[in-house]
Amino acid sequence: MQILVIGAGKVGITLAEELLSEEHDLVVIDRDEEVLQRCQDTLDVMCVHGNGANAKTLIDAGVSHADIVIAATASDEVNMLSCLIGKRLGAKYTIARIRDPEYHESQTLLQHELGIDLAVNPDRAAALEISRLLRFPFASNIESFAKGLVEMVEFRAQAKDVVVGCRLRDLNARLPGLPRVLYAAVEREGVVTIPTGEFQIEVGDRVFVAGDQITITSFFRYIGRDTRQVRKVMITGGGRVSYYLAKLIVPAGMRVKMIEIDAEKAAKLAQDLPQVEVLHGDGTNQELLTQEGLEHMDAFIALSSRDEENLMTGLYAASQGVGKVVVKNNRVNYVQVVNRLGLDSMISPRQITSASILRYVRARISSQGTKVEKLYQLLNGKAEALEFQVPAGAPWIGKPLKDLRMRKGSLVAVIVRRSKVIVPFGNDHMEAGDSIIIMTCERGLSDLSEVIQP
Amino acid sequence: MNYKLVIRMLGTILILEAALMLPSLAISLCCGAEDALALTLAALITLAAGLPMRLLAKPESKNLRAREGFVIVGLAWLAMSLFGALPFLFSGFLPDFFDALFESVSGFTTTGATMITDFSHMPMGVTFWRSFTHWIGGMGVLVLTLAIVPQFTGRNAFLVLAESPGPSLSKVAPKMRDSSKILYLIYAVLSLLMFVALLFCGLNPYDAAIQMMGTAGTGGFSNYAASVGAFNSPAVEIVVTVFMTVFGMNLSLFYALAIGRWRDLVRSEELRWYLLINLGAVLIFLTQMLPLPEYNWDFGKTLRHACFQTATISSTSGFGIADLNVWPIAMKTVIVVLMFCGSCTGSTAGGMKTMRIALLFKQSKREIQHTFSPRRVNVVRFEGRGVDEKMLHQICVFGIVYAALVVLGGVIVSFEGHFDLETNFSAALTCISNVGPGFGGVSGSFAGYGSFSKVIFSMLMLAGRLEIFPILILFHPNVWRGA
Repeated sequence: MQILVIGAGKVGITLAEELLSEEHDLVVIDRDEEVLQRCQDTLDVMCVHGNGANAKTLIDAGVSHADIVIAATASDEVNMLSCLIGKRLGAKYTIARIRDPEYHESQTLLQHELGIDLAVNPDRAAALEISRLLRFPFASNIESFAKGLVEMVEFRAQAKDVVVGCRLRDLNARLPGLPRVLYAAVEREGVVTIPTGEFQIEVGDRVFVAGDQITITSFFRYIGRDTRQVRKVMITGGGRVSYYLAKLIVPAGMRVKMIEIDAEKAAKLAQDLPQVEVLHGDGTNQELLTQEGLEHMDAFIALSSRDEENLMTGLYAASQGVGKVVVKNNRVNYVQVVNRLGLDSMISPRQITSASILRYVRARISSQGTKVEKLYQLLNGKAEALEFQVPAGAPWIGKPLKDLRMRKGSLVAVIVRRSKVIVPFGNDHMEAGDSIIIMTCERGLSDLSEVIQP
Repeated sequence: MNYKLVIRMLGTILILEAALMLPSLAISLCCGAEDALALTLAALITLAAGLPMRLLAKPESKNLRAREGFVIVGLAWLAMSLFGALPFLFSGFLPDFFDALFESVSGFTTTGATMITDFSHMPMGVTFWRSFTHWIGGMGVLVLTLAIVPQFTGRNAFLVLAESPGPSLSKVAPKMRDSSKILYLIYAVLSLLMFVALLFCGLNPYDAAIQMMGTAGTGGFSNYAASVGAFNSPAVEIVVTVFMTVFGMNLSLFYALAIGRWRDLVRSEELRWYLLINLGAVLIFLTQMLPLPEYNWDFGKTLRHACFQTATISSTSGFGIADLNVWPIAMKTVIVVLMFCGSCTGSTAGGMKTMRIALLFKQSKREIQHTFSPRRVNVVRFEGRGVDEKMLHQICVFGIVYAALVVLGGVIVSFEGHFDLETNFSAALTCISNVGPGFGGVSGSFAGYGSFSKVIFSMLMLAGRLEIFPILILFHPNVWRGA
């Protein structure tokens, strides 16, 4: 597909790299010639110098036959304007990054009037993901599918977990009370496997399990994890993610303490978020954290603008016995290192943004066939979970799963039929209208027919 | 330096070169096969050198940095020229190694300077190979590799930038591979058009192909001593003139034309400069040639020959209709200027490129303006937009180094003591600008020089074709050190 990316910033470049690996034709527009030169040197894309909201620049970049325009500059206004003009000039779909909470309030109207097909708000998306983690504090990562019916949860296997050291096919025989969940993917020493029945979970593995909410919760209770609700939350940094997060979790009954270093910002937050206890101070100051009762917190969330600061305060909080620690970290290279130190829950707004745009792009690829409804990248994109609708008339409908010819390294993880979640075994089958979730180690799959051969 | 990657790339290119020798072998087999053995041997040796490099070097990382990019381009051209010399050597066509190397370099760099003095017996296959190197070298081998070898993906912008003529890269499609394919297609279509036109002029297919390849690559090898003049046909001269001018233009303009953006053609400032320079030269040549006894105020013939002479030099083809030494001194001087200028960015021609000349001119104008109104902020504009100061700086350096290499080349070869000043300097200039013929002793063949000079001229031709830096960089010790 022909894709225009406006803004060669961090998100723009991450996105361009991902899209390139999926073989799309990219044109990158930026106003900064130096940034553009670097882009030209490192990526196989066409670069156009200019303002993405300028019609002439867009025409030069070939907007009239572009399939998708992605506006990801630092300015919301430029992004919106670029989409508006891009659409008028013939782009099929437009995607804008819009971050300002003030625009968020009138998003539906703006999107409709400006012809924006997808508005991505990285900060709000990050806040949503954190709020889900707070609902399932035992999980290090979590993603929901099929309109929230299915949850896919990541946890790190510990020595006391009863599932460790037993073949997956023997689990239910040995532990009759164990709730039935699907073991979707396991990462061990950087290698991701989609496990078969012969697989054994070992201590230190990062395991993804899928199932409905109740089963998942009882699964974790069975293996002895703390499944109590989070009540008290401390947040350092008062940026946009913190604002959205507070808006999401305060109504759910959580008590929030927020520490912001900038006095003016703190005052504004206190005004906008009356139910939050806003503190003016340095979130990296350990004495302040202790004074404010860090060890009594159920969760600690580090959301300052500096990744390193977040990681350090997060490690400190974990060492003080806070049960759930979430940090914001945009640097993918740090993830491996920090995971080894014991911090599992990391949120990258940048990655969330690029993942949600990728999912949208991928859903536009196949003009016919069955499109991806939802795409979730696990373990830094080493595995993907894809949600599809089962189309009427597919030749494999009704056949037992064990007789289907599946693509190598892929598996049907969950079937959702009439709001009922089925964790499938070899004898289960699919019906038209089912939602299914496919786990795969491959990247770039966009159509169900690529996964299941007829 | 990622040596394994460099070796693997070089291996790929040599395998491709072996494959490129096959058409010449086919021609040879069709026409008596007197040089078939030499071509087969050359292809096999090239393949035998390339295969192990390609198969055994397994680079850990495919990361191509600017440094590797330039080194690959420089070494690839050296290696290609070396193996490209084998057919000349084996067939006994040019039994001296340095002669063969010079001929091969001259072919790939589309210079067209030759070592051949006796045109009476030309083996068909090897002669075809000699001209075919022009056709390949015109667009570049790495560009071709990029277009047809599937694994050649990733950060390859450096490769193409180092190989394509001109200071800026014109990409016609977002992906380098697609862009290369499109440009090669345009090149092939234009070549085919010219081939057909020459057939209509009454040339036999072999002669037409040889002249076509010499023109398309703007090289200038011919299979006759009198070059294009040998056909004694005004029609052939006109076709060659038109296509020399065409191949001196930026090929991406033809892509714009093909997709209906003919306005790009009209708006192209470089094209305007190129045509204006050519027009000026034609006018000067007319005034100089009309009084000559040979032309004797025959306006039609003079105009035809003036256009041919302009196109052959400015496109850096170097086809001859007459010995350059017969022209009046004013004309020779203008020819030297044209040799410096060359043709457009993104063409198959050599020289400094019209865009650089135009920018040097504009920058000089600005500096002069600056002396009498020092407060005025003055931006150099080209193609309707401001030009980056860094690029202007690079172009200045390029101009200086270019001139310095001409002087250096002339000085070094003078130590062999073969010819006079005019010959030596014009030989250095014609080599670095990839034109072909020079003045004095090199208006026909370079055979009068010694082996040492032939190597120097070969390096100059390569430096000119790759726009100097990929070749100069090979001599910088730091490039080879460390990671």
